[in-house]
Amino acid sequence: MNLNKANLISALCLGAFGIYVISVAAKLAYVSEVGPGPGFFPLWLGIGLVVFAACLIFVSGSADANREKGKSSSWRTGGRALAGWLALMVAIALLGRIGFFLSFVVLTIFLVVVLDRRPALLALGVGIGLAVAFQLIFVVALDVSLPKGFWGF
Amino acid sequence: MDALGNLLLGFSVALTPINLFWCLVGVILGTTVGVLPGLGPAATIAMLLPLTLKMDHTTAIIALAGIFYGARYGGSTTSILLNIPGESSSVVTCLDGYQLARQGRAGAALGISAIASFIAGTIGVLGLMLVAPPLARFALRFAPPEYFALMVLGLAMVVFLAGESMIKALLAMLVGLWISTIGTDLFTAESRFTFGQMKLLGGVDFISATVGIFALGEVLVNLESRGGAEIFKLAKGLKNLLPTFRDLKDCRFAFLNGSIVGFLVGALPGAGATVASFLSYGLEKAFSRHPQKFGTGVIEGVAAPEAANNADAGGALVPLLTLGIPGGNTTAILLGGLILWGYKPGPLLIQEHPELFWGLVASMYIGNVLLLVLNLPLVPLFAQILRLPYYVLYPLILGISVVGVYSVNNSLFDVWVMGLFGLLGYLMRKLNFPAAALILGMVLGDALERALRQSLMMSQGDLSILIARPISGTLLFLAALILCLPALRKVRYWRVAAIEREA
Amino acid sequence: MKHKATLATMIIAVVMALTGARVWSQEFKPSKQIEGVVHTGPGGGSDLLARAIAEMLQKEKLISQRMQIVNKSGGGSAVAMAYLAEKKGDPHTIGFFTGVWVTNPLTSKEATVTVKDLTPIVRLILEPAVIAVKADSPYKNMNDFIEAAKKSPNQLRQSGGSVTGRDNLMRLLIQKATGAQWTYISFPSGGERLSNLLGGHVQMMVIEPQEAGEHIRAGNLRVIASLTEKRLPSLPNVPTIKEQGIDVTIIPQARGVLAPPAASKEVVQYWEGVFDRFAKSASWKQYVEQNQFEDGYLKGPPLNKFFDELTVLMRGVLKEAGAKVVR
Repeated sequence: MNLNKANLISALCLGAFGIYVISVAAKLAYVSEVGPGPGFFPLWLGIGLVVFAACLIFVSGSADANREKGKSSSWRTGGRALAGWLALMVAIALLGRIGFFLSFVVLTIFLVVVLDRRPALLALGVGIGLAVAFQLIFVVALDVSLPKGFWGF
Repeated sequence: MDALGNLLLGFSVALTPINLFWCLVGVILGTTVGVLPGLGPAATIAMLLPLTLKMDHTTAIIALAGIFYGARYGGSTTSILLNIPGESSSVVTCLDGYQLARQGRAGAALGISAIASFIAGTIGVLGLMLVAPPLARFALRFAPPEYFALMVLGLAMVVFLAGESMIKALLAMLVGLWISTIGTDLFTAESRFTFGQMKLLGGVDFISATVGIFALGEVLVNLESRGGAEIFKLAKGLKNLLPTFRDLKDCRFAFLNGSIVGFLVGALPGAGATVASFLSYGLEKAFSRHPQKFGTGVIEGVAAPEAANNADAGGALVPLLTLGIPGGNTTAILLGGLILWGYKPGPLLIQEHPELFWGLVASMYIGNVLLLVLNLPLVPLFAQILRLPYYVLYPLILGISVVGVYSVNNSLFDVWVMGLFGLLGYLMRKLNFPAAALILGMVLGDALERALRQSLMMSQGDLSILIARPISGTLLFLAALILCLPALRKVRYWRVAAIEREA
Repeated sequence: MKHKATLATMIIAVVMALTGARVWSQEFKPSKQIEGVVHTGPGGGSDLLARAIAEMLQKEKLISQRMQIVNKSGGGSAVAMAYLAEKKGDPHTIGFFTGVWVTNPLTSKEATVTVKDLTPIVRLILEPAVIAVKADSPYKNMNDFIEAAKKSPNQLRQSGGSVTGRDNLMRLLIQKATGAQWTYISFPSGGERLSNLLGGHVQMMVIEPQEAGEHIRAGNLRVIASLTEKRLPSLPNVPTIKEQGIDVTIIPQARGVLAPPAASKEVVQYWEGVFDRFAKSASWKQYVEQNQFEDGYLKGPPLNKFFDELTVLMRGVLKEAGAKVVR
């Protein structure tokens, strides 16, 4: 996907988002007895979003857009990044259940083994080593509390 | 001169062994706390307040102030090395600092940051010493219209953060402004865009969002390619582990700019160090000979904001010590401390307790020297972190991010928010939307809307109040000028092109 | 014969005492660290007060374990109250409440817990407030200000906190009682409220005597009325608002301690005992005097009644203020 198409899609998304903002802002009071109301600022933000999204669509349509430098987005490798992000979200979900220590080890193993294809033992070592370091520095030395599993850490 | 005599009195207080010791403890603690994202000087000072009851009061304020301005030194470390803002005021340092680290110049960036912090911190103390009372009186003239104008000036800086595409920068800024509206409306107590979530009533936590966009976004971008070992070069040799004389020369304007902007903005109650660092960065870029290079790793882009956030600490003490008005969260706690120890902060504090004020001022000079001596040698040490293989570095960054964000409010919700902003940061990088513009919108949006509505309340709906008042009028005019600059440049470009075509 | 009877009585008494000791006085004693929940971040007013109280409790050896202050800020008091409610059954958690804990659930539909859900322990203080103007302003007393406001409606300005806070609500009550009208401008930070007054951008503000104290001494501020039932000991020459002929209900700003929902009798007894002794301690009395608070010690059924009455009062005042009341 080249940059133009990406710009177009993001412009459309932002435009749609702008319309959403306008719709919510319209339900809030534009003016209250004490001056501009809670709807005032978001309404204009929504309008600004729609206007500039339209500009972006217009600009990407014309030839000028090719002048925009920067890496053209290659979305194939994006899959790896998204996998990494999903792994992080799963780890955050696990934080509350099994505690920071274990979720961090799990996440590290995923990143190192699955995404990097390194030996599992290395992943385990790195994960546990870092997790222990976090425990020592934050929980023990700095008295910061981290989510715990039911085994106490 | 009276100030000199008082300063000597101050040094006689500050140079006692016990005060020196606690000054050292304070600045070391401050630096440590500043390095780690999430844990901030405000929480640390609040936790230590009860312990200070047993100390001599001057010693206590020396120690706590040391934590306050020491944190501004530490905040840039993780910003530069890992793209994780250690303090909200270090967000701007991420922009060029991290790029410098990626080019193998982490040492130079860290070193310049320490030097800039020292120069600005010292200038801040000088300002505190010499102009505090008149500056405080001047700052009182700032009412909502002036704050609004200042925020507009800050937003005009978007123009300078734009990079190639102005439209994308504006869109990013608008999204940032929208994010700042999430939460409870101050004036009507209605909730906006909270999606029914109680935890969003206070708005989106700034640290969650910035750590998500910068740190997480960066990790996700790097995850795309295997074998990212080439990403962090570490230049060998001591020469590259510290800033060169060329660097220092390049930054001379930045040091001055950051110090003055930081100090002045710090003296305004309500405007924070983050605003100061954005303004200073924008100003530096405006007057630079190579503005388009900002954001790719320009050393002045580190020096200016770092100077600003350190001078801001000195500035924030101006209203606190001359009027008893706290400028922000941390100074509010310091105020609480002063009251706890039995002082009554107000206009008479300096006159009635000169040893407290001047002892503190003198200790801040000493503290800044201590911090420079402590931080510079540590630079090569910290830079070694980048030697870690990336399969250790990325989990490390993720871990620090999660722990840092969680520790702000002990809230898992904040960590979720960080995760979402991580995805946003990644998408923005891929689609070439400048993250700095979004962050700028987030930082200023709150204050901007508030100041506008307060101004209109003052004038009963009359917009002309914004231009009628001299200070706000001037600032708005400056903002308009800045906004017109790119248009003027474009016009010149077309004219030159037209002339060339005719030739 | 008599000796045997006395002996028997004594044995029975001892046995009763021993068994009674095991059945009746299952006293609660904390066995691990205590959490004190506050609804502001570190450094906020509630936070500093809670830390001071924790420090004093430990100094006076009134609790055997450490007390750690836990900051649960967000949504006014909503997050803190929800957290406290989650701790149902946990005797090692208490919350430090202020007036916001009563009013916030009334206006915020996202809040899930009201103060009736929690267990009241004690009310410690009432924070008085005064009305201050700049020292060089033409208003020497409250009536001067009211007259000026009547002459130019909505031209005079007051700086204060959130619109559902005491500052604004007192303004609305006074406006209703006198027919005067003036504008209210919200500033989230106390520093800005004061700096706008000192800078002459607003004409009046509601402020706590301790905040205003130094500025009065320096000659920058003048207090024209106190929002209390009786004159304040630190400002004996300042008449109360009622003395000046303006009859309004004084909205109290109370602070005290609450426990999680449905706390057991023993736990309540323990905490009541602790704060009973605390309120009498020398260091607390000194703290109250230093900060110019009003002693508002209240516990048990009168405390419940206070919460009920305050809720009703606040609901009425908020409705009049035009705020959306959802409970």
